[in-house]
Amino acid sequence: MRLDSRQFDLAALTVLCAVLLHATHFPLWLSLAMIGLIAARWLQRRRRPDWGKPPALLRLPLTLALPVVVWLQYGNIFGLDPGSVFAVGMLVLKLGETENVRDARAVATFASFVLMAALLFEQDMLTTLYVGLGVIPLLLLLRALEPDGSDAAQPAARVLLRDSRGVLLNLLAAVPLAALVFLFLPRLTAPLWATQSVPQGKSGLGDSMSPGGMKDLFLDDQPAFRVSFVAPAPPPAAQRYWRAVVLWRYDGLTWARAGGGPLDPTRQELRAQGPEVIYEITQEPGRQRWLFALDLPVADAPGYARDEDFTLAAARPVDKPLRYTLRSAPRYTLTGLDSQQRQRALRLPDGFNPRAVALGREWAQQYGDPQRIVQAALDMIRADFHYTLSAPELGRNAMDDFLFETRAGFCEHFASAFAVLMRAAGVPTRVVIGYQGGYWNETGDYMVVRQSDAHAWNEVWFDDRGWVRVDPTAAVRPDRIELGSGANAAFNRWYGSEWLLALRNRWDIANRLWTQLVVQFDEISQRGLLRGVGIEKADWRDLGIAFALGMGLFAALGLWWAVRRERGDADVVDRAYARLCTRLGRLGFARAPSEGPADYLRRLLQQRPQARESLEPLFARYLQLRYAQSEIADAAARDFARAVRRADLAALHGT
Amino acid sequence: MTAITPDTPLPLPSELRTRLDRAVAQVNGVVLGKANQVNHAFVSLIAGGHLLIEDLPGVGKTTLAHALAATLDLSFQRVQFTSDLLPSDIIGVSIFERDGQRFEFHPGPLFAQLVLADEINRATPKTQSALLEAMAEQQVTVDGRTHTLPAPFFVVATQNPLDLAGTYPLPDSQLDRFMLRISLDYPSREAERELLTSTNRQELIATLNPCMNAADIQALRQFVGSVVASPALIDYLQALIAATRSHADVRIGLSPRAGLALLAAARAQALLGGRGYVLPEDVQAVFVPVTAHRLTLGGAGQRDRVAVARELLAGVAVR
Repeated sequence: MRLDSRQFDLAALTVLCAVLLHATHFPLWLSLAMIGLIAARWLQRRRRPDWGKPPALLRLPLTLALPVVVWLQYGNIFGLDPGSVFAVGMLVLKLGETENVRDARAVATFASFVLMAALLFEQDMLTTLYVGLGVIPLLLLLRALEPDGSDAAQPAARVLLRDSRGVLLNLLAAVPLAALVFLFLPRLTAPLWATQSVPQGKSGLGDSMSPGGMKDLFLDDQPAFRVSFVAPAPPPAAQRYWRAVVLWRYDGLTWARAGGGPLDPTRQELRAQGPEVIYEITQEPGRQRWLFALDLPVADAPGYARDEDFTLAAARPVDKPLRYTLRSAPRYTLTGLDSQQRQRALRLPDGFNPRAVALGREWAQQYGDPQRIVQAALDMIRADFHYTLSAPELGRNAMDDFLFETRAGFCEHFASAFAVLMRAAGVPTRVVIGYQGGYWNETGDYMVVRQSDAHAWNEVWFDDRGWVRVDPTAAVRPDRIELGSGANAAFNRWYGSEWLLALRNRWDIANRLWTQLVVQFDEISQRGLLRGVGIEKADWRDLGIAFALGMGLFAALGLWWAVRRERGDADVVDRAYARLCTRLGRLGFARAPSEGPADYLRRLLQQRPQARESLEPLFARYLQLRYAQSEIADAAARDFARAVRRADLAALHGT
Repeated sequence: MTAITPDTPLPLPSELRTRLDRAVAQVNGVVLGKANQVNHAFVSLIAGGHLLIEDLPGVGKTTLAHALAATLDLSFQRVQFTSDLLPSDIIGVSIFERDGQRFEFHPGPLFAQLVLADEINRATPKTQSALLEAMAEQQVTVDGRTHTLPAPFFVVATQNPLDLAGTYPLPDSQLDRFMLRISLDYPSREAERELLTSTNRQELIATLNPCMNAADIQALRQFVGSVVASPALIDYLQALIAATRSHADVRIGLSPRAGLALLAAARAQALLGGRGYVLPEDVQAVFVPVTAHRLTLGGAGQRDRVAVARELLAGVAVR
């Protein structure tokens, strides 16, 4: 059967929704090409319906071109990204040849898979909501494909309204089922499809640092992680340094993780001084294995490893939300630096930045004391450097150029330059990258740290204190530290208005809950839930049984509802009358089964004439509803049921 | 089908309503204490069926028929059925007319709007069949020519109980032609006393004036069709019909035609009650006279069909 224009429009809309859902991780030109194909086909169907579907000569090359395009774009046709392009492209091409009901059903079926696939990329609340919205045209399409779905006699808007209501009701009815599946379907500890491929477009800290490398991060407003403090209160703004990776090796351009030889976690011993801070971090998925901690994490927790430089790392990249609790000691001492470490913390590449190295050596001779050398460097930076996100280009001797020519840059430049100067002056120094700041969400009682809070600073070794954090950026731009990334002009708009800020806070809370309650709901949470209702040890079999029972109950409820609905509102009236008869029966005026309502009323009134006032209108309404018309209006039926419930039968008491 | 609210019970013109009420009252004035039977006679008239009155001689069968005839302004014929009555005696006969040199049809007594077929079971089956076929088809065919019977065409037949001597029982299939079968029974004590003390019934009938004419009856028959039978009512009706087909003592239950007759009679009953819609009570009121004579009983003991019909009625619940 050929599709009418309404059915085709819905099919096109369904495909469009699928494309839009995936557009966030498609190259722009590809999304546009797909939307263009949909639009072209839609226009053709509308203007020249007599053409039918495009000829094979057109369809075949397009179909063959799809894998080629995927290959050219990704260099691969397997994997998450190429696979999704392939699937969406196929869906678009299927719409191209959709002419009859069977094709449209295929489109709907495949579109549901494609919509679901969007959740492989992102599982946050908005994406889930978008997928839910995308399902609506799909269900509308399926409804329109039913034999009675396309009613040409009715105006299209009215049919759409009627169908939308039905579809929303269907979705609503499916919510308990979805909840059941969500809660009780046995979960696999490992994901069913191992999509270890890194989601593209997810920014985050890298494991190295080169001037300008963080610039994209500063513009990324996504949350990196959220922190709630167990005890005590959150640290002051100036203390919110969330360390991720410590960088040791410098090659003249890039700071990288380790400089020769594996790091030994037992090498240095930490002695906490004063109270510790206990906090829980919920980390957003990213590309790296690093976990985030305040200075300096003291306790080990299962599931991650701590290096000698207090870098924490998970066993594998954090590709789904991760939650962990940490303890940190803001004040501490460290045992001595061994020679290998000291050597690593002083090494500079030969033949780079001669002026900076010369300056460092000069300071070493001039001051001798590491404290004073650090002070000299900070004074210099404070004196005539300025902070800007649009730092000028630097040449081969990048730090020379920065220190003596451009004198403008952001944290990476300052941290890098500072480290070069210190190492040249013989002060062991390393670079730490992580996040600085964090926005305290009053309403939600937690702190959110965004990608734009990314920062780089230094740690300097003082023999009496151990590694001490020094932030040269703070020297030039103290407000950057006090206010966090909010000080960056790009985000001032966010904080410009009160209600926008409040909205943003609420939104962030909702996202956090979503992550904690839905995305992170795993086998362990499932067990916890079952323990909550008294089931101590639930294995997958118990879960399966609970699930099957729930499904059976759901199916029975659905069936009952369908049967009840089939009988319609005559039933409401019927039951109300039966209730009335029962009530009268209890008063001693039982109705004989074969007694008609009018006879019944006559008999009642003969025995209790005083009940005329209460009974007669009721019975008149009943006769009217049930026998005087062929269809019963919902409202009237409910009205009658209410009247029966409220009926005052006092007149029938006594004699 | 238009929904009718109680405020406007029926789109029945009030004069027609008045005339109908007066006609019913007038017949009741002659046939004393038989309101139910008179009511059934009118149900039959309004629903477009025919009426069979079965009872002992002398309880007022003929009186009822005569009272109806006198009350309705219809052309009236009475045929006394006897064992030597021939079909042509009631249908009519073609006679060669010497003047016109051709056969001329001379209509028999059946060509009247109200026909009283008295003691129908005294005639031979052949004659009975002629009458019943005419009733079913509203027309007669003589010598290859079809003659339409007048409208309205309403047959009131009487018959004696079957166990009396000298009767030819009507076959079941022909009983089906009568929409209702009623019996009169002995009058009550009061009614009998009045019968004995007041004017002779024959004389009383002679003084009656007609209250309704053919057009009124045709109009009423039109209105019957617009009486609402709601889905709930049809449910009840079907439950009753189904019960007749599954009852232990009933060999052959009600036919679909009987079901239609039951609905039509119930509609007429509702109309007579001044209602624009049918109630279960309307069905109950006409159930026994409409169905009893159509049930074919089986089983061990010989049972009265009326008793079985009453039992069926009591066994089906009104929901």
